Amino acid sequence: MTALLRRHPALVPGVLFAAFLLLAPGFAERGTLNDLWNMAFFVVLASAWNLLGGFAGQVSLGYSAFVGIGAYTTVLLANAGWSPWLTLPVGAALAVAFSVAVGLPTFRLRGPYFTIATIGVGEAVRVIASGLEFTGGSSGLRMPPGTFDFNANYYAMVGLALLTLALVAWLQQHAFGLALEAIRQDIDAAEALGVNSTQAKLTAHAISAALVAIGGGLFATNFQYISPGSVFDFRLSLTIVLMPIVGGMATITGPVLGALLFSYLQIKLLASPTLRDSYLFIYGGLLIVVMLFEPKGIVGLWERLIGLRPRRRAQPPVGEARRAS
Amino acid sequence: MPAENGKILAVSSVSKRFGGLLALDSVSFEVQRGEIFSVIGPNGAGKTTLFSCLVGTYPPTSGSVRFRGEELKGLRNDQVVARGLVRTHQIVKPFRDMTVADNIRVGVLYGRLRLRGAKARERVDEVLSRTQLGHRAQAKAGVLSIGELKRLEIARALATGPDVLCLDEVMGGLNPAEIQQAMGLVRALRDSGLTILMIEHHVHAVAGLSDRLVVLNFGKKIAEGRPGEALRDPAVVAAYLGDETEEEARA
Repeated sequence: MTALLRRHPALVPGVLFAAFLLLAPGFAERGTLNDLWNMAFFVVLASAWNLLGGFAGQVSLGYSAFVGIGAYTTVLLANAGWSPWLTLPVGAALAVAFSVAVGLPTFRLRGPYFTIATIGVGEAVRVIASGLEFTGGSSGLRMPPGTFDFNANYYAMVGLALLTLALVAWLQQHAFGLALEAIRQDIDAAEALGVNSTQAKLTAHAISAALVAIGGGLFATNFQYISPGSVFDFRLSLTIVLMPIVGGMATITGPVLGALLFSYLQIKLLASPTLRDSYLFIYGGLLIVVMLFEPKGIVGLWERLIGLRPRRRAQPPVGEARRAS
Repeated sequence: MPAENGKILAVSSVSKRFGGLLALDSVSFEVQRGEIFSVIGPNGAGKTTLFSCLVGTYPPTSGSVRFRGEELKGLRNDQVVARGLVRTHQIVKPFRDMTVADNIRVGVLYGRLRLRGAKARERVDEVLSRTQLGHRAQAKAGVLSIGELKRLEIARALATGPDVLCLDEVMGGLNPAEIQQAMGLVRALRDSGLTILMIEHHVHAVAGLSDRLVVLNFGKKIAEGRPGEALRDPAVVAAYLGDETEEEARA
């Protein structure tokens, strides 16, 4: 038990925070609950993205596509008379199909080339959704009236966040997590040891796409109105990437910390008339600071502070270093 | 002497072209089960390119690679590993932020054996001890010495459970004591039933270990045979030391 806690110092605060989120509807005001809802939504986005972008090191800037697919599926089917709950698995399935269709060509690309391709995919989806008639074009779509229960939606989003965290943590402990780790550290070596890298990347992509799409469906139900500008926005894709980077990629805790920070920032910044248009500027500054001073994010900073990780890299024995070149 | 019980790998007329460069020019040879077979040649002869074509890192431009009778050309690297042919890398490619044990675990979980649970842990321990890396099991691969990194390359490849182990210059950069240790390891691996295909520059190691070898120069096979004969072949001497007649002409 103590060994478990030493390895996962965030477990106790994490469980306490989860309990707080689940009990909050009993005492908190609606405004606070909205903020907590948003926090949970960001935890889903950041942690799901982290499976592919963090653990497997495949940085995708096109994740708003999955938010949008989930959101549009929910609104379109709800308007056709479906219960919003039943639309969630459909949205997830469509997102999985789309993730495979996009992944097959783009996973042939490596590093920045993959990232650039995903920007193109995300933008293409936004443009298509803006142009099609049945998606309401650029003005978007409304949910049918009388389909909304905030508390149920709140519990669903918090539950989805916890499920995402549990799933990612479980995968990390198993063979699949080690394969993703190997792919990130050296994809050629991973393949030379028998890892089917394309299959592993497609699987990680599909799992995270499904989780993000369910989040998108709940988003649509909560806001009752969606448009390409809200769910297919490039700035949303960017925020999804920034949260794990600032928090600490390829960790369980990092994306959660990033999500907490960004949802707090977003709430504060959007409430301020002078800052509301400059929040991307502030995000950019934050990213630069993290990249310059602590590429492992808040988690890395914490490990350094409590002395788990020395500031200097461990040096190989004298003489070995020169020959190792 | 190894038991001569049939060929396990047949390379026939393998060529590889990179744009205007013919890196491999119709190379053919056969490797017998249980032997230590070396591929030698000057820098840039195409040795590593040959390994890459064997395991499917990239496909040969033409020719065929048959492993236990099955054509490997067109298979991905991971599919070749699953059939029992695995390579190491001359420029070591450790997973630097993983422990040594986890590096090996990747091969155990995803190689040919695909072990899980307690069997996987046993296999990791077995490989650690066979490659004398047990005392470094929990160290991050990034802090290992070059000798340990070369052993880790072998260990991970061995972990996959191959029939044929392709070693790409596992003695490069080692000191004499480490070379002795590495030679002992290669011999022990062969004695345990593996077939070894190795690229090596260290002539003492090549002569001391190889049952047979081929010599490549500018992508072409220029000699083949037992080390004693092949290393004395005039074409091989010329490839390594320069052509005598050329030297005389210049003088």
